[in-house]
Amino acid sequence: MRPRTSPLSRRRLLGLGAAAAAGAALSACGGPAPRKEGGGDASLRLLTPIFDRADGQKLLTSLLADFKKDHPGVTVQVDYTEYGKLNEKLATSIVGGQPYDVMLMGVGWIPPFVEKGVLADLGTSQSELDRLYNPRVVQPGIYEGRTYARPILLDTRIGIYRKDILAEAGIDAPPKDLTELKEMGKELTVREGGKLTRAGVDILSNDLRQTYLPLMWAHGADLFADGKPVFDSAEAVDALQWMVDVIRTEKIEDYGFTQKGAVVAPLVQGRAAMMVGHNDMWRQVSESAPELIAEDKIAGFMLNQQRPALFQGGTLATLSAKTRYPEQAKALVEFLSGEKVSPQAAEQRGNIPAVLSAADSDYVRNNKLVSFAVDNLDHAFSEGGVPTWLEIREEFKPALESALLGKSSPADALRGLAEKAEAIIAKGA
Amino acid sequence: MQRDERPRRTKKFGHERGRVALLLLAPSVIHLVWWIGIPVVATFALAFTDYDILAGTVTFNGLDNFQEIFSDSTWNASIWHTVVFTFFTVPVAMAIAVVLALLLNVKMRGSAWYRTAVFMPHVTATVAIALVWMWMFEPRLGVVNTMLGWVGIDGPVWLADPDWALTAVIVVSIWKGIGIKMLIYLAALQAMPNDVYEAAKIDGASQVRQFFSITLPLLKPATFFVLVVSIIDSFQAFDQLYVLTPDGGPGNSTTVMTYEIYRTAFKEFNMGAACAQSVVLFAFLLVLMLISRRLTGKEDDVR
Repeated sequence: MRPRTSPLSRRRLLGLGAAAAAGAALSACGGPAPRKEGGGDASLRLLTPIFDRADGQKLLTSLLADFKKDHPGVTVQVDYTEYGKLNEKLATSIVGGQPYDVMLMGVGWIPPFVEKGVLADLGTSQSELDRLYNPRVVQPGIYEGRTYARPILLDTRIGIYRKDILAEAGIDAPPKDLTELKEMGKELTVREGGKLTRAGVDILSNDLRQTYLPLMWAHGADLFADGKPVFDSAEAVDALQWMVDVIRTEKIEDYGFTQKGAVVAPLVQGRAAMMVGHNDMWRQVSESAPELIAEDKIAGFMLNQQRPALFQGGTLATLSAKTRYPEQAKALVEFLSGEKVSPQAAEQRGNIPAVLSAADSDYVRNNKLVSFAVDNLDHAFSEGGVPTWLEIREEFKPALESALLGKSSPADALRGLAEKAEAIIAKGA
Repeated sequence: MQRDERPRRTKKFGHERGRVALLLLAPSVIHLVWWIGIPVVATFALAFTDYDILAGTVTFNGLDNFQEIFSDSTWNASIWHTVVFTFFTVPVAMAIAVVLALLLNVKMRGSAWYRTAVFMPHVTATVAIALVWMWMFEPRLGVVNTMLGWVGIDGPVWLADPDWALTAVIVVSIWKGIGIKMLIYLAALQAMPNDVYEAAKIDGASQVRQFFSITLPLLKPATFFVLVVSIIDSFQAFDQLYVLTPDGGPGNSTTVMTYEIYRTAFKEFNMGAACAQSVVLFAFLLVLMLISRRLTGKEDDVR
């Protein structure tokens, strides 16, 4: 006899559907039910824009294995991204109801996110942080007297030059100010049949805003005063005019000669004599043309006019205000910004460790661009300053480009930019 | 007894069929409502608000977002770039696709391979295509400028020159979009009745006359379909522009409406304005759809 089979009844089908829906809903909630603070076990979500390359991911995996030894009940789920996509990752996670527990973000980001209630107070005093970190990068993590972020690494934008190219032209020292930089740039520019083959100064390989800002600070201008934009001041206009002169008047570099994100920078290829660049250029040189390092052909110089200036950014670790595991997440923040992780995180990016204990490490001493930046951090300036900075900074590139392309004068471009910034600040108030 | 039972069984059968239909339709309806209906309604509603995505606050602000976006030169430029992009990618690609379809409709050895080759860009990941074209457009060592150099032309810095960046992106978009257009035309060509052509031959019509008097008119339905789909695709183009010319291109020269919506939403966190921009994009597409529908309707009337 054949065994009797029961047909799939409507009630049974509905029951199965309900069970499936309940299962899906439970799994969508993600992880265990909320725990009381101080519980040992936790599943943390970490968003990081600084370990995104293969070597970085490998490093972080091994570092987190160390973290787990001290916190055996804590698992860390890492979401690797890059700075360019950090905004959307943060926004979608927050609006999707699944915010990250620990988020790494940049200098200038803290006030906007604190104002929106995204970040939790770490409850650490500034004096405590000053003992551990370079003071330059402690301040960006503090907002209205409270600490919301702990630094991991610093990065700078400085002048970089090829000693050999300058020496060929009989120049034995880098430019002492921006006027001299332009003059030397003219002298070092090479064109063959009208076509640019070597730029005297490359100001396009770096992010345009992050090239302009140190030039602006060097001219004596500032971003904001009393919460209002002042980057359309006469000094700021002079700084943009300097860039326009490099591209349009003196033809030291052609617009489009290179662009941000090129695989190898013109300076490394010998297609530029000097540049405004990131200190991680040393890492690029060591990978693409190590002989330049071996033969001592690369060095940094200060961008100087009314005052010496370098752009200083950094990466900081923050704690989500909505984390279900505040103690474990705070422990992870402290671990990532601690003396074990900070130097290694900086080295894999070619950046500067935030912890003071690594300031004289072999890595820092052997990386001449990093050591140059460390020696000159007294002249560092950072972007940001108002809670709407993330919106305002997006307006810089089009404004700067319009001046560099000759579509508007530097004064008009910066005035328009300041008006937009005022509107954004007014809207955000 | 049997006569009495029959109507009851039919009624029950119909009732069961309705339930089954509902059950089978339910996933699609839920999907439609959840993933399309709610977001569309939410977008329209949020377009009239100041939506702070991080703080989670929503404040009604009337038409402020629309005033804001239309006083923004970047948004207005992005509309113009979208129109230019569509103007060049749609008709040019359609013309090339017709020619290719005619060539590949001829019986010849290896025609399947040729058809596959033309169709290949359509099924290849756009990001991969964009990366390959980035290398090809590389100013010093790229294939494009190298080939131009052979004929004595000093090629521009394609993707970093504001005068050429949009052209470069249009070239890539035409190349990528031809495959599917060609396929639709090819299907239309293969469905054409031979007797019409035979009659034309008997009447002494030349090949050119046959093409303009028979082939093109019979291709009209396919042309309308390709036109509508291509316009929608062009207005929604994003990925190839995003990869080839990050940050909206040099001097915002390749900023199109979709990119500006993305920038407003995720770079500036101005979700209300981004929703207003989406509504404007929707309105553009709706008007174009209505125009094309009207044209299609006239075509139906003729037939």
